[in-house]
Amino acid sequence: MPQTTIYVSPRSLGAHDTRPPAVVTADLARLFAGTPALAGVSLRVEAGRTIALLGANGAGKTTLLRLLATAIQPSYGMAQVDGLDLGRQADLVRERVVYLSHATGLYDDLTARENLDFSARMLDTPERAARVERALGDVGLADRAETRVRDFSAGMRKRLALGRVLLGQASLVLLDEPLAALDEDGMRLVEQLLAAWREAGVTVLIASHAIERLERHLDGRVLLDRGLVAEVSGAGVSSNPLAPASERRQAVATG
Amino acid sequence: MSTLRREAGLAMAVARKDALAELRGRHATVSALFFAAVVLLLFGFALGPDSARLAAAAPGLLWLAVVFAGILAVNRLHLLETEDGALEQLALYPVPRRVIYAGKAIGGFAVMLVLALVVLGAVGVLFAIDIAAAWFPLLVTVVLGAAGIAAVGTFYAGVTVRLRAREVMLPLLMLPVLAPLLLGAVKATAAALAGDPFGELGAWLQLLVAFDVIMIVAGAATYGFLLED
Amino acid sequence: MKTRILGFVALTAVAAMTGIGLFVVPADLNQGDAQRIMYPHVASAWLAYLSFGVTAISGILWLWKRDLRFDAVALAGAEIGVMFTAFAIWGGMMWGRPIWGVFWQWEDPRLTTTALLLALYVGYLLLRQLTDDPERRATRAAIVGVVAAVDIPIVHFSVEWWRGLHQTATIGSPDRVLNPAAPMVFVGTLLGMLGAFTLAWGYLMIRRYQLARAEVQREEAARLDRLMSARTAEPAR
Repeated sequence: MPQTTIYVSPRSLGAHDTRPPAVVTADLARLFAGTPALAGVSLRVEAGRTIALLGANGAGKTTLLRLLATAIQPSYGMAQVDGLDLGRQADLVRERVVYLSHATGLYDDLTARENLDFSARMLDTPERAARVERALGDVGLADRAETRVRDFSAGMRKRLALGRVLLGQASLVLLDEPLAALDEDGMRLVEQLLAAWREAGVTVLIASHAIERLERHLDGRVLLDRGLVAEVSGAGVSSNPLAPASERRQAVATG
Repeated sequence: MSTLRREAGLAMAVARKDALAELRGRHATVSALFFAAVVLLLFGFALGPDSARLAAAAPGLLWLAVVFAGILAVNRLHLLETEDGALEQLALYPVPRRVIYAGKAIGGFAVMLVLALVVLGAVGVLFAIDIAAAWFPLLVTVVLGAAGIAAVGTFYAGVTVRLRAREVMLPLLMLPVLAPLLLGAVKATAAALAGDPFGELGAWLQLLVAFDVIMIVAGAATYGFLLED
Repeated sequence: MKTRILGFVALTAVAAMTGIGLFVVPADLNQGDAQRIMYPHVASAWLAYLSFGVTAISGILWLWKRDLRFDAVALAGAEIGVMFTAFAIWGGMMWGRPIWGVFWQWEDPRLTTTALLLALYVGYLLLRQLTDDPERRATRAAIVGVVAAVDIPIVHFSVEWWRGLHQTATIGSPDRVLNPAAPMVFVGTLLGMLGAFTLAWGYLMIRRYQLARAEVQREEAARLDRLMSARTAEPAR
């Protein structure tokens, strides 16, 4: 394991084996305008693990991440993060989860530091100023802190978004195509982050097309296909089918 | 009580972020100001050149210009969040939804206040109205009117931000709801300028206050539902 | 079956009240026969507001319970409501013309408020049309409905004030007939018309709701269908 100096601070997590599973979903489904993006996913992800979500475009990776992030609501089924229900305890879930999407969600007219400072305020990061500087340094943008994001390249925006992820106290990190737009240095940064998170006991879910680069950081893999779990492999993640198919049909039909 | 302070602090952080982005990018204020100026000019053409008639119509023209330009401003302010998916990110912070609404509404209020004050000055010049004499009640009216437009506008901008035909729907939804505010602001302005001969200024200002309070509460209560996709 | 009975009763009641309103009840001393429009006009206006209340409250229930049937009620309320609103405005204009000499009178608080109500309804229905996803549509509509409903009383008061401060309620104003001192036969006819129209409204609401609910159920079945076929489809591997 390469030595890491990146600072992550999840909420205090218990010993590895005493923690509840980070993610449990049961028949989780989401439709958009009548089309199922996720058709019924039942998974169980153990705490502290790094799991990859694989699959073609449209397989449902992004939808699953967005559901877990509470960015969207499920159409059917149930999901829990750290034992908290996504639907009814969404605000509590938000305190524990951080989501990095394709879109970096930065404000073009603000500088890098201002963007992070705003996020730090929203995330209630302790010792805000120091943490912001630390995050800027950790992602290699300390010398660009005063530059407006409008003038950033795509790779730099991605780094800044990663910096924002560092400011929270998340115990579950959701990354959607984290390597996209990154150069060699950027990808190495992501690897350092994964190492830091592993050491801190943070659970990480990564959706990606091509995961070869991060292979050695992964515990398990989930392959999605057309909104369903096609295959589960590795440690720390298991398929969680609740009941035989007929009972499931019944459960879905009654809502 | 400290939760209230914390929420207020968060709302101010959102407002400050909006204000900063607006100051630097000037998306909303400049275009809104120019639009208001053009509208006033066109009013002059449409209703003039009799200056007595224009002076009599001035309160109405003032607030019509402010409302129309305000729609533009409020729309542009919300568009800030659509570049790069910032709105989705904003919705994911562990922050109560009403705080986000409050922050954006405060930011909107700042822009609307600037807009309204400039238009007031312009109306004074273009339609020969003596603003200085009644500056205090006029200021109060402007503050209350700007607050109402910001409260309603922030809400409806949130409703329409991801809607098809947004440019048409925002005014279509906002304008009927703003009718009482328009009425109250125009009547208060007219009363203030005339020296309040019938003693009705207080009643109209009360109407504005009631409108503002009700709309802020309604907006804060429902904004959260808009952020979930 | 019960709905059909309601429909017949409503139709009979409306026909009866129309007959009474046109032929039995004496004409107003000042306004003559024109005043007879007041009965359906006021009844429609009452139902226009009632419908909006139903729409707003159903919207809140949707937000709370997440049952799309509440949204179906809201939609029914809006469509039936817009009908009654348009009729109320038309009636108001028809009544106003012979009395005031003009079709529109800005100082009539009910007319202007009802016109604004129409605008709010139209906005609500257009908003619904522009959203395809049923849950998003229901949520957006519910929120807009609530804020609009909250706005209506403010509009009403502001317009009342507007008129009151100008002291120009004209002699022949439709208002005069609606005061408490009006003779019983007028009040009675009005109440009768109100009742008849409410029955008709109830019938229309139930029918429209049934249609909307059938639509909801159809969509739901189609969704489940698609979901099930997605689950049982052959995986790519």
